[in-house]
Amino acid sequence: MSALWRRLPTLSLAAYYWLFVLFLFVPLFAIVVFAFNASPIPTLPIHALSMQWFTRAFDDAELTGALLRSAAIGAATGLAATALGIMASIGLSARRLRLRAVVVAVILLPLVVPYISLAVGMLIVLQELSLELSLWAVFIGHVVIALPFAVLVVFPRLRSLDPAMVEAARDLGAGEIAAFNLVTLPLLVPSLISSFLICFITSFDEFAIASFLAPPGQPTYPVFLYAGSRTPGLLPELIAIGSLIIVFSIVVVVVAEGGRRYIERRLVGEVEA
Amino acid sequence: MVTLRLRVGRGVFIVPPLVVVLLVLIGPVILLSLYSLNLRTNIPFAPTGLSYDNWQDFLRGPGNPFRNRFVYSMEFTLVVSIATTVAAYPLAYYLAFHARRFRYTLLLLLIVPFFTSYLLRVVAWSDVMLNENGVVNQVLWAIGVQPRGVGVGWLLYSNFSIFLVLFYSWIPFVALPIFAVLENMDRSLIEAARDLGAGPLGAFARVTFPLSLPGVISAFVFVLIPTTGEFITPLYVGGPYNQLFGNEIQAFFGNSPNWNYGAVLAISLIAVVLVLTLLFGRFLNTDLREGVATA
Amino acid sequence: MPRPGIDRRTFLAGTAGVFGLGIGGIGLLEACGSTSSVASVSPSPRPPLAQEPGALSILEWGGYEAGGTKAQTSGLQAGTTYTTKYGANGITYTYITNDDQALQKATSAGPFDLMHPCNENTKDYVDRGLVQPWDTSLLPSFSQLNPGLVKAGQVNGKQYMIPWDWGYGSLLYRTDKIDAADATGWELAWNSKYSGKISLWNGASTNFEIAALKLGFPHMDNLSSDQLSQAKAALIQQKPLNKLYWDSEYNQEQPNFQSGTVWVTYAWQDSLVSMTQAGLKAAFLDPSQGRLSWFCGFMLGAKTQNYYHAHEYVESFINHDACAQMTNLFYYGTSNTTVQPSEIKDQTLAAALDLGNPQAITSGKNHLQSWAPNRSALELAWQEVTAS
Repeated sequence: MSALWRRLPTLSLAAYYWLFVLFLFVPLFAIVVFAFNASPIPTLPIHALSMQWFTRAFDDAELTGALLRSAAIGAATGLAATALGIMASIGLSARRLRLRAVVVAVILLPLVVPYISLAVGMLIVLQELSLELSLWAVFIGHVVIALPFAVLVVFPRLRSLDPAMVEAARDLGAGEIAAFNLVTLPLLVPSLISSFLICFITSFDEFAIASFLAPPGQPTYPVFLYAGSRTPGLLPELIAIGSLIIVFSIVVVVVAEGGRRYIERRLVGEVEA
Repeated sequence: MVTLRLRVGRGVFIVPPLVVVLLVLIGPVILLSLYSLNLRTNIPFAPTGLSYDNWQDFLRGPGNPFRNRFVYSMEFTLVVSIATTVAAYPLAYYLAFHARRFRYTLLLLLIVPFFTSYLLRVVAWSDVMLNENGVVNQVLWAIGVQPRGVGVGWLLYSNFSIFLVLFYSWIPFVALPIFAVLENMDRSLIEAARDLGAGPLGAFARVTFPLSLPGVISAFVFVLIPTTGEFITPLYVGGPYNQLFGNEIQAFFGNSPNWNYGAVLAISLIAVVLVLTLLFGRFLNTDLREGVATA
Repeated sequence: MPRPGIDRRTFLAGTAGVFGLGIGGIGLLEACGSTSSVASVSPSPRPPLAQEPGALSILEWGGYEAGGTKAQTSGLQAGTTYTTKYGANGITYTYITNDDQALQKATSAGPFDLMHPCNENTKDYVDRGLVQPWDTSLLPSFSQLNPGLVKAGQVNGKQYMIPWDWGYGSLLYRTDKIDAADATGWELAWNSKYSGKISLWNGASTNFEIAALKLGFPHMDNLSSDQLSQAKAALIQQKPLNKLYWDSEYNQEQPNFQSGTVWVTYAWQDSLVSMTQAGLKAAFLDPSQGRLSWFCGFMLGAKTQNYYHAHEYVESFINHDACAQMTNLFYYGTSNTTVQPSEIKDQTLAAALDLGNPQAITSGKNHLQSWAPNRSALELAWQEVTAS
């Protein structure tokens, strides 16, 4: 009895934790389940299962178009923001940097700028420059808001690298750039992949900037999702696609984390979880 | 070791990203300021000229509804931030102190939902869980708490629904900084407290919790700052009376051609967020302050 | 080089101090308008139809999508002659929530090839340089259109709007839920007995017209600032009685009415038809203060690259068959005079709505929604209503 009493804190905390996990996963689970619901209205009980919403979703040119647009912009954002993030990290790793505090503040500024204000501000910029709405504007906006994440992921990793390895490469005759390419960059790969993923997700899921700057007829997925969730006819297809996205992102996160631990173990000899 | 060939240090690499950020952020801010002062306008051929009217009206106009909504929005944000932080603490504590062996895996389990699309999670609540025939109502009908066919009115398009969805979205993220601090805490301090006679609760109250405060405040700020500008969740699950300040801005630029007034709101939001960041920024543990000590 | 920016600034500096708002607008229009139309409409011969891109971007009301497109789900067949000839896939629709939002979208989210605003906005579209005149010789059915409506679609003698549809706006209500004694006028929307069962349109300036009628102001589109404050107060008072302000007729207004979620909704007469067909006992209020009336039409984008396609699109809407089918579907009036009363299926309803007589919109107790000189004040006031 006293053993139970002693374990009460652990048990109650564990219960709290697991209840929360349940709370977190139930809506996701619901989406996945309802994706197979034969009825066009997502309600219980589910009488029949069907894959029809998946086929209809992939036949829906507007839906697939929006997905492709978001994926393309997301991938481009991931690459561009990661590249800029690498540059920023190298810059920040300099021993002496003028106005370091200011530079850091500016680089991290997009983290705190409310996206809605940035979005309407960019809309005004386009209007004043007599530019039409375009996906390029969306891309540029996304790169800027994703950049801080890239820096926050890559810089700590860069900073934690053992400088001896780069020194060794230099001693063996490599130039600065070659040393970077052959030694530093490969060691950074796990963080680069993380950075790409985070930037991709940030862009793929971004609504504010996309809703104001995407041209009519070329919505990104979040914009399409908003319009579609107001349209009862589109809801089942959106749920079907949504279930795919949810499952895919869970798989990617788990695999990335597992892969990262594996690579860490191989590279560094210990798991830096 | 200094390379004589390179006059310019590594620091020069910061320039391209810096320029990109400055260009993209400065233009909008400057133009928003000009618009808010009526120095430019989006209506072609409409007259412009320096005018503080919109600012006066927003800041000092009696009973200005946009200012009221701003206050409501900030109150709401505070409530969400505090509730999320308080609710996340036991989760982080459990992982740091009680789930020794698998804590990182359990942490991953907690974080994973955060990496699924935020919008999809909101849609899950608005169209699958909380709606008239949704899962929550169905469960309530099944248990018998609610007469069948009659949904609970305040489940959707209410303060409750906005709070719930925001709370749901932020919990995984908020647990992280608290976990990080608790995880790295020097356990010997707690042991010392116990050795000196403190009970488990006493040790917690006097040692663990105070030492974890930086993480707690960090978590609080992590939620506070983005939520001030939140407008997506109220769009999906909010009713006409629950719209947050971000929605007002969106309405001005989406539904009404009055960009000059909307610019006042947009700038105010930026200003508030900047002030909050300056006040609480030191608690955001982003250690980019030191460079790398290499040759 | 941003052309409007430099020209505008010079002109504004010179004229801002001299002219007031309205006069200044017209003066600038005459000075800048020709410049902008020259710059945006190529003076050299347009590419022939075959060389146009062909993908039309249209700013349109929900339900008016061309027949044959995937988006058209309300049964309209107008536009079918276009989509059968040129295909339905190239047409993109951006939806209008209300006329103020449409004008904003046309200004900042454009350029659109075609826009379908209502008459009170014609002047603003022209003033802002968003549209160019139609070449009516390219529209075979143009001669069949009602001369009064055609004239009203002209600005400075040029045909900027091709009128198409006209009708009324009023409150649609459930006759089995609403006391007949309450259904006397616009004040029905303010009746707290039906709190939570009312749904006004997210209609910005339209709601101010409604409030003006309810309060008995003589000129609903020209409110003094004092009248505007009173109208605003009335709308703020009405706000809690709404279930919601509907944005979309087909996604919100009709489904909510049909499911019984609301019993009183602002609507156009087509909802009366849809709802009675769905088996509901509904009526279209004839308020003591008079109904709102409107007419709308097509406008051609100033920067369109699909000049000839746009004309063909409009022709596919204004021809006799398209108009007759539209009237039989929505029971809106049409601008095409060759549509005979005998072609309308429900003669009683057609007579009640006076569909054979486009002049009805300006006669009797009907109040035609017209251009408001203080539009921006109205819109700001509406924002304040929604924010309170």
